[in-house]
Amino acid sequence: MKLTEINIILIGIVSLLGVGFYGLLITRNLIKVVMVLQILVKAVVLAFVFSGKVSGNLGLGQSIAATVIVADTIVAVVGLALAVQVRRRFGTLDAPEISTLRG
Amino acid sequence: MANILILLIIGFPWLGALIVWLIGDARPKTQHTLAVAFSLLSGISSLILLAFINSQPAIDLSLGTSFGNLTFTPDGLAVSLTVIATVVGSLAVLFSVDYMRGEAQLGRYYFMVLFFIGAMAGLVLSGNLLFTFFFWEITALCSYGLISFYNDDPKAVAGGIKALIITQVGGVGLLAGALISYANLGSFQISELLGRADTIPTAALSFIAFSFLIAAAAKSAQFPFHTWLPDAMEAPTPISALIHAATMVNAGIYLLARFYPAFESVPGWKTAVILVGVTSALITAFMALTATDLKRALAYSTVSQLGYMVYAIGAGGVLASQFHLFSHAVFKALLFLTAGSVIHAVGTRDMRRMGGLGAKMPFARNVFIIGALALAGIPIFNGFWSKELILEVGLEHSPMWAYALMLLGAGLTAFYTFRMTWMVFFGTPRETLHIHPIGLAMKISLAVLSIGTFTTWLLFGGLNGILSTSLPFHEIEAESTLEMIKAVSFAPATWFALLVVTLGLGLFFAFGRKFALSESPAWLSTLTESSFGFEPVNRFVVSLVSNGAEKLRATQTGQLNWNILAIVGALLVVLAALVWGGAL
Repeated sequence: MKLTEINIILIGIVSLLGVGFYGLLITRNLIKVVMVLQILVKAVVLAFVFSGKVSGNLGLGQSIAATVIVADTIVAVVGLALAVQVRRRFGTLDAPEISTLRG
Repeated sequence: MANILILLIIGFPWLGALIVWLIGDARPKTQHTLAVAFSLLSGISSLILLAFINSQPAIDLSLGTSFGNLTFTPDGLAVSLTVIATVVGSLAVLFSVDYMRGEAQLGRYYFMVLFFIGAMAGLVLSGNLLFTFFFWEITALCSYGLISFYNDDPKAVAGGIKALIITQVGGVGLLAGALISYANLGSFQISELLGRADTIPTAALSFIAFSFLIAAAAKSAQFPFHTWLPDAMEAPTPISALIHAATMVNAGIYLLARFYPAFESVPGWKTAVILVGVTSALITAFMALTATDLKRALAYSTVSQLGYMVYAIGAGGVLASQFHLFSHAVFKALLFLTAGSVIHAVGTRDMRRMGGLGAKMPFARNVFIIGALALAGIPIFNGFWSKELILEVGLEHSPMWAYALMLLGAGLTAFYTFRMTWMVFFGTPRETLHIHPIGLAMKISLAVLSIGTFTTWLLFGGLNGILSTSLPFHEIEAESTLEMIKAVSFAPATWFALLVVTLGLGLFFAFGRKFALSESPAWLSTLTESSFGFEPVNRFVVSLVSNGAEKLRATQTGQLNWNILAIVGALLVVLAALVWGGAL
C-alpha cells in the first residue's frame, strides 16, 4: 500500500477509532471514559472531513464536522459534570464499583 | 346511510367505553345504565344496517399511498357477524348489570367490554387487511384485559397472559399473510386478494393460506392452540359468554370464511382445515366428558362446536359454517349466561358440589335445558338445523373418515351435554348451597336468548339471501328456509346424525349418571387434564423461554466495558458482512 494522502488519513481514522474502542474496553475510571469518547469522536470528525473531500463536498463535510464538535463539547462537559457528582456521592470514579453499589 | 350506520356501530361502543370510564367508579348505577344504552344503540344500528347490505365499500377513506384506503364493506358476511357481535354483546352487557353489581372498578370492566364489541364490528366490516389486523389486535388486548379482570387472582392473570400470548401467534400469522399478499398485489384491500388470488405465485399463496389458517386456529382456539380457551374461564361469566359466543372466537371462523374463495385451490389447504376442525371437535368433546367445572365443560363444548364450523369451511360449506356460527352464538350465550346465573346464585363452579338445583331454580333449569337441547342437536332447536347442514355438507364433500369422526363427535356432544345438565340441575343435592335469587336484567337477557334458540333457524332463508347476493367471490346458492327444511329432513346425513345422537343419549341414560359422579377412568382423565399432551408442550415452551432468558441474564452485567465489547463485536460482524457479502 502506497502512502498517498488518502491512505494516511484513512490510517489516521482507523487508528483513532481503534484507540477509542480499546480505551472504552479497558477503562474503568469515568474521567478516562470521557477522554476516550473524545478520541472516538475525533476519529469521526476526521472521517466527516475526509469523506467531504473525497466526495467533492468539502464544505458540507466541514460544516458537519463543526456541528459535531459543538455537540461533542456539550457531551464532554455533561459527562465530566456527572463524573464530579458521582465522585462526590459515591467517593469513587470506578464504573463497575458504582454499578455494584447500585445493586 | 350505510356509512353513517357503520360509524355508529363502531362509534357508539367506543364512545360509550370512554364515557363510562370517565364517569368514574363512584357512580356505578350511571355506569350500568350507560353501558347498556350504548351497546343497545350499537345493536340497533347493526340491525338497521341489515337493510343496506352491499358488496361495495360504504366508506372509502384515502390514507395516502402506503397503507391503501381505509374501507368498510357492509356485505352479508360482515353484517351478519356484526349483528351477532353487537346484539349478543349487548345482551351480555345487560346481564352484567346484575352479575357485576357491587363489583369494584366497573369503569375498567365496561370500558374493555364496549371497546371489545366495537373492535369486533370493525374487524368484520373492515375491507382493508391492515385494519382487519389492527382490530384483530384490539380484540386480543381486550380479551386479555377481561380474562384478567380479577387481577388480584393469580389464576386469572395467568389465564389472561396465556390467551394473549397464544392469540399473538395468530396475530403474527395474520400480519405475515397480509404482508406477503401486499408484496404480491401492492394492496391491502381484501377484495383485491379475493379477486386476484390466481395472479399470486403458488408458493406465496400457500404461505398466505396457511398463515391465515394459523391465525384463525389461534383466535378460535382450535387444535393445536385450543389450550387458552378453558383457562380463559377465570373471567367474569358475561365475559365468557361474550368471548365464546359474540366476539373473539368468531373472528377465526370469519377469516377462514372470508378468504375461502382465494384459498380453496391451494393444494392441501382444505385437507388441513378439515384436519384442524375434526381434531379440535373430537379431543375437546372428550375433555368436556371429564370436566367437573361447569364453565370449563362449556368452554370445551365451544371449541368442539367451533371445530364443526372449521370443518364445514374445509368441506366447502361456508354457508353452513356461518349458519352454525349464528345458532351457536345464540345458544352458547344462553348456556353461558345461565351457567353464570347459577354460579352467581350458589357461589361455586364445581358441578360435583351442585346437583338437584332444578327444583330451587326452575327458571334457570328451563332455559339451560333449552340451550342444552340445541347444543346436543335435538330437532326443532336452532343447533339441530345448523349442525345437520354441516354434516350434510361433510358427507358430500369431505373424506369419509372425517365425516365418521364428526358423527362420533355429535354423539359425544349429546352425551356430555346431558351429563352437564344432569349434574347441575337433577339428581339429589350433594351439598346444601345457599341460593341467591336471579335478578331481573339476567332474566330478560336469558329469556330473549332462549326465544332465539327456538326461532333463529327460521332466519336461515334471510342469512342465505344476504350471503348469496352480496359476496361476489363466494359461490353460495340461494335457498329458502322451507327448502332447507326439506333438504335437511330427507338427507341421509340427518338420520345418521340423529341415530348417533340418540345413541349418545341412550348411553348417557344407561351409564352416564353413574359415570358423571364417579371418578372417570384414569387414562381418560390423565389425557384430558394434559389437554391431550398439549399442556406439557405449552409448559415446555414456557420453561424453555424463561430458562433461556435466565441464562441470558448473565450477559446483562450492566458494565460499560462488556457493552462496548458487544458493540465492537457487532461492528466487526457488520463490516465482515459488508466486505464478504459484497464479494458474493
